[in-house]
Formats: sequence, C-alpha cells, structure tokens
Amino acid sequence: MMNFRNKYILGVTLALSMFAIFACSTETEVEVIKEVEVEVIKEVMVDTPSTLSTVLERDLLKCGVNDNLTGFGVVNSDGEFAGFDIDFCKAVAAAILGDSSKVEYVPLTASARFEALAAEEIDLLIRNTTWTSSRDRDLGNDFTATTFYDGQGIMVKASSGYDSVESMTGATVCVLQGTTTELNLDDRFTGAGIPYTPLTFETNDPLQAAYEEGRCDGWTTDKSGLASKRAGFENPDDHVVLAETLSKEPLGPLTRDNDSEFYDVVQWVVFGMMQAEESGISSTNVADMAASPADPGMARFLGVGFDGGEPTDFSFGIPLDFMQKVISQVGNYGEVYDKHLTPLGLTRAGSLNALWTEGGLIYSPPFR
Amino acid sequence: MKYNIYNQIKNEKSLSGKLNVVRYDKNLRKIILQIIFSSFLLYFLYYLITRSFNLDLGLSHLSSRAGFGISHQFLTDYTSNDSRWDAYFIGLVNTIRVSIVGIAFATILGILMGLARLSKNFLLNKISTAYVEIIRNTPLLVQLIFWQLALLQLPQISNALTFGELSVWSNRGILLPYVNSLQNGGLWVLCLLTGLIISLVIRSYASKHKEENVNFVSPAIIALSVFILIAISTYVILGVELYADIPQLTQNQYGTYIQSGGFTLTPEFATVLFSLVLYTGTFITEIVRGSIQSLPKGQTEAAKALGLNNYQTTTLIILPQALRSIIPPLTNQYLNLTKNSSLSVAVAYPEVFMVSRTIMNNSGHALPMLALILSTFLALSLIISLFMNILNRQITRIGA
Repeated sequence: MMNFRNKYILGVTLALSMFAIFACSTETEVEVIKEVEVEVIKEVMVDTPSTLSTVLERDLLKCGVNDNLTGFGVVNSDGEFAGFDIDFCKAVAAAILGDSSKVEYVPLTASARFEALAAEEIDLLIRNTTWTSSRDRDLGNDFTATTFYDGQGIMVKASSGYDSVESMTGATVCVLQGTTTELNLDDRFTGAGIPYTPLTFETNDPLQAAYEEGRCDGWTTDKSGLASKRAGFENPDDHVVLAETLSKEPLGPLTRDNDSEFYDVVQWVVFGMMQAEESGISSTNVADMAASPADPGMARFLGVGFDGGEPTDFSFGIPLDFMQKVISQVGNYGEVYDKHLTPLGLTRAGSLNALWTEGGLIYSPPFR
Repeated sequence: MKYNIYNQIKNEKSLSGKLNVVRYDKNLRKIILQIIFSSFLLYFLYYLITRSFNLDLGLSHLSSRAGFGISHQFLTDYTSNDSRWDAYFIGLVNTIRVSIVGIAFATILGILMGLARLSKNFLLNKISTAYVEIIRNTPLLVQLIFWQLALLQLPQISNALTFGELSVWSNRGILLPYVNSLQNGGLWVLCLLTGLIISLVIRSYASKHKEENVNFVSPAIIALSVFILIAISTYVILGVELYADIPQLTQNQYGTYIQSGGFTLTPEFATVLFSLVLYTGTFITEIVRGSIQSLPKGQTEAAKALGLNNYQTTTLIILPQALRSIIPPLTNQYLNLTKNSSLSVAVAYPEVFMVSRTIMNNSGHALPMLALILSTFLALSLIISLFMNILNRQITRIGA
C-alpha cells in the first residue's frame, strides 16, 4: 500500500515538473513576443530614428551595391568601386553629407540584398534591382525611382546569323536558374510556338564557359548584364545582343518601408540629376550657373537666390544647395550614363533611357 | 531492486537522509536524467510542429503550371505547359537514371581496380593505386566542374566530328547509333526482363527435378526456348518493329545545327556520370581490396595446391568469399552515389534537386519542397538498401 502511494507521489511530482517545464517555456515565449511587439510599436509610433538622421550622425552613407557587374558596380583596378549604380550612391552622399566620398560600399549578392536592407546593414540599396510589385509589397522596402530601364535580351554569336527570336528555332539557350529570366524565356519561345532547349545553370561562371564554348547558341539575361559581359569578352564584336526585349526590368534605388524623409531625399536626388540634364546643368557649368542663375526656376533648383534675392527653401532636411554638390561632384544623369554605360555599347539615343524630350522615359517631376 | 529505494526512503528517519537516498541512488538518477532529456526533446518537437503549422505546408502549388523548360528528358515528353508535379517527375527520372547507370559502372570499375590493386603486375598495380589516391582525395564538386569544362572542349557543333556518318561528336552531345523501335520499345525490354526471370526460374526448377526429366532435355535448352518464345510473341503482339537509329547532323532553314537520332550522351549527363563513377569507384576499389585481403592466405594457397590457375582462383575461390564482406559497405557506396547525384545542380544537369530549386524560387514555398526532396531521397535510399539486403541474404546463405 505504502509502496503504491510512494510511486504515485513520485509520478505526480514528475508529471508536475514536466508540466512546469512546458508551462515556463511557453510563458516566457509569449512574454518575449509581447515585449518585442511593444518595442516595435514604440519604435514606429514614438521616435523612429529616420535613416536620414542616422546617416547625418554617422557622417557616412552605407550603400549596398554589386561589385561584379561592369558598368553598374565593379571594383576597378585601383581597388575602388566604380559604375552607374555607384555614382548614385555618391550623389546621395554628396546631397546629404556634402561629400561624395563619404560612402561605405557593401557588396551584396542577389539573394542577400533585401535582407541586408531590412536588417539595417545598409541605408540604401542600389544594386541593379528590378522594381516589381511583389518585391515592393512583400520585402519591406520602397522603390524610389527608376535610374535605368532595362529589359531581358538574348546575346548570340555574330557568326551565327541570328537576328530575331523567330530565327532561333531549335536553338539551345543558356539561362540562370531560379530567376524570372527563365520564365520570361519560356513565355516568349513557347508562346510563339518556337521549339528550343533551355540549359539552366546555377551560377554565372559555368554558364559563361558553356556559352563561349558553343554549348548553347544564346545567352539570356538583362540587356545591361549582357552588354556588361559582352564588353568583358576578348572580341566584343563577335557577339550581338538581339534587338528584341523579352521583359520590362526597371532598375533603381531602394530604401526601407516607412522611411519617408530619407526616401524623399534619394528620390529627389535621382530626379534632380535628370532635371539637371534637362536644364543643361552639368558638372562643368554648375558653378557659373549657381553664381548667376538664368531664371528663378534654376535658382530654386540650385538653392541660390535669384537676382540678389533670398533662396527659396525647399530642402529635404539637408542643405539648400544639395543639387549643386551632387552635380559638381558626380554630374547630371547624362554625364553619369555616358561615363559608365555608353562604353558598354548601351546606346542611349532612341532607347527608353533617353530624356523624355528626346523620346525616352527619363523624366523628372517639377522642382517647385 | 526497484523497490529498494522506497524501502530505504521509508526507513530513513530524517528528511536529509531521505534526500540523500534519492541523491545517491544510481537508478533513480538515470531515470530522472532520461525524463528530463525526453521532455526537452518532446518540447522541441512540439515547438517545431506548432511553428510549421503556421507556415503553408501544402504542396498544392505543385499542380499549377510549371512555366519553365527542362533540357534533359528520358522517355517522356514534358513541356513547360505541364504541371510542376510533371517537372518534378522529370527531375526524379533524371536522378534515377544517372544513379542506376552510375551504380552499374562504378561497381564494374571498382571490382576491376580492386583486383588490379592486388595484382603482382607492376603497371596495373600502380595505375590502380594512382587512380584511388588521386580521385579519392579530391572533392567531388571540383571533379564535376573539371569534367564539365573538359567535355566543353569537344568540337563545337559547327565542326562536329562524324565517324563514317554513324556517330556525331560535339560539345552538344555524343550521338551513338542505337536500335530504336516504332512503338512500345520500353515495354518490350520490360517483357524481355520478365521473360529472363521466368526462364531462370524454370531452369532452376528443371535442374532440381532432374530425375523426373524422362526425356533428358537439358534444363538450359528448356529455359532458352521459353525465353525465345516470350521474346518473339511479345515482339509480334506489341508491334515493336526495331530499326537502326543512325544519328544525323542537319541545319534548319535558319542555320541552326540540329543533332537528332541515335542514343545521345549529353555533356551534362556525361559529366555527372563520369564524376560519380570515378569517385565512387575509388571507394569500391578499396572495399574490394580490403575484403579480399581479409580472407586467410590459406584459401589462395589451397586453391593453388589444387592446381587452379590464377583466373580460377579469383573467380571460384576468392571473389565468392570476398563478396560476403563486400556487400554491406557496397550498399553504403550505392547510397552515397545516389545522394551525391544532387551535386549535379552545379553542372546544369536537371536532376530532382535542381528542378525543385527552380520550383522553390518560382513559388516561394521552400519548406514543403525541401521536405519533399528529403523524402524522395529517403525513399530512393531505402529502396536501394532493401535490394542490397535481399542480395546480401542470398550471398551469405550460399556458403552457410
């Protein structure tokens, strides 16, 4: 009888202790979640440290970039970052901090880029990133503006004689795995009833080797990427990028969600560079223009007074003359484009990246 | 023994005495530790399961349209309009295909090299040693990439080698002449295999009942005639109609070179096959060598004393005995080969893992897809183990 009772007590004690372990752990978990939630709400509601003030305080802009795409973002032979995207990082730094060299570049892979931005490892992401609805919606970031209108293209060997997708009947096309590129390619070929063989690679290097050795007839990815790779070949003229564009790929800088101050700055720096080109302000003449602006609009744009008057105040929490700094240190949109992308063979005239006055899509809302 | 502790606790007068009994009792300590451990384990499982219920674990997205093409197909006609399940199935077929062919060749290579390793012939011995030491000690992934780049060095398709119009060699693929059928070819091969098994069963039955065989017809002849009968009758019924499939290299009206016909060995498949066979072959070589060396030397000496020559000694005495200790580690290598085939994701061979990764990227449902891949490989491994265990039982029974 006693034995049985002892056993019973032991059993109950053990059961209780197990229950306690469970209960404690669940309880703490709930508490932790609550705490985190409260903290998040506090951050959002009370004092969100805006990225703009963080950058000003740090006196340094952290910019997430590509370090392996000639023309857009690459480490040059001097060990410095250079490229089209890099220049927009410089422009934002010049606007906020007055010095285009106050940038820390953080090279990122395609898969790590959004998390790096969300985790505040970087302030700004400019890494040839396509603006899509799902990315805008799901990934906790905002696209500011389109700096480059890209599109998927196909590169073939000049000697092959291909001049259109239709002429590539029966061809083998190399493509990178898990990208929208793969799906766009199939949409185009299957949609038109053209038989083809896709050869799907996980990474770029074996793909390039396969293309160069003639394993596949074509290589498809964004046209800017193709131009960049083509420029890296020994004889770029042996390769042609077909005129047809398979998909829309607008590229631009991204900031975090709910970060309006900083978002506005980045957006209007990009627009400002486009506006400067439209108004004929370049790095060579910006000093003269600022000294004697031609009209009130230009004076307002450059943050100076017109005809001895006071300057109009519409800065974004940064110095009035931010566009002067941007243009004198980095240049206007056209200058940046010509410096980095024209040498790749990405002709601007007649493309979507021409100014709107010349039939393109590069258009800035008014500075007013 | 178990009740000792209760009696001890009962007999102890003071509380500290009772506690000491608990503290120093070995069995109780063990039980408590096990309970603590298992409760943590249970809690961990509970946590994982409740967490995963928050995620969408369904595989319903697999029935939507795939939307991407697959470069390698075997006995199927998949298009991007088919479902993701179909795409997954193509990947699975590709995995099984490379695994089966790989296992067959790796076994042959391993046994030959294992024998060569023990050979007294200087050249054979050194070749085998060099092969094992070089291939076994380098990473498989690097070998895969090496073979890929090596096979790309074959001539480009515009200057493809054609051997007397019979075979086409380029870095798009090696095309060999092949016997093809108008219809039901695969089914017929299946019938032949079934016929082979049936005739083998008949042969063993016939040889067991030799005494009752009044007509003195050899069991082999009975079995052979049954096999031929099955082969011919199914050939006629299925309307197979074999023909010689000669590879062709043509240009379409746009100037694209098209390889067609024959049996195609693509560079991607060849890359994966070569790497897996060579790599797994080294381990099989070592298994064969070790098993043979573990046999008592007396076996060889006795065979020699009986006047058997080298070939007879190896095939009749050594290998049958070595086989018993070869099979279990060999199973491991077969499993490794099958699992390693997932590395071919690096060289554009669309096996099941690669296709699943594409699906994952397109659908965003990574966790259920990973669970699916894991269970697929688990199933493949278990099937291989099952077959090998059956084989092992057969082998060990023979000598017993």
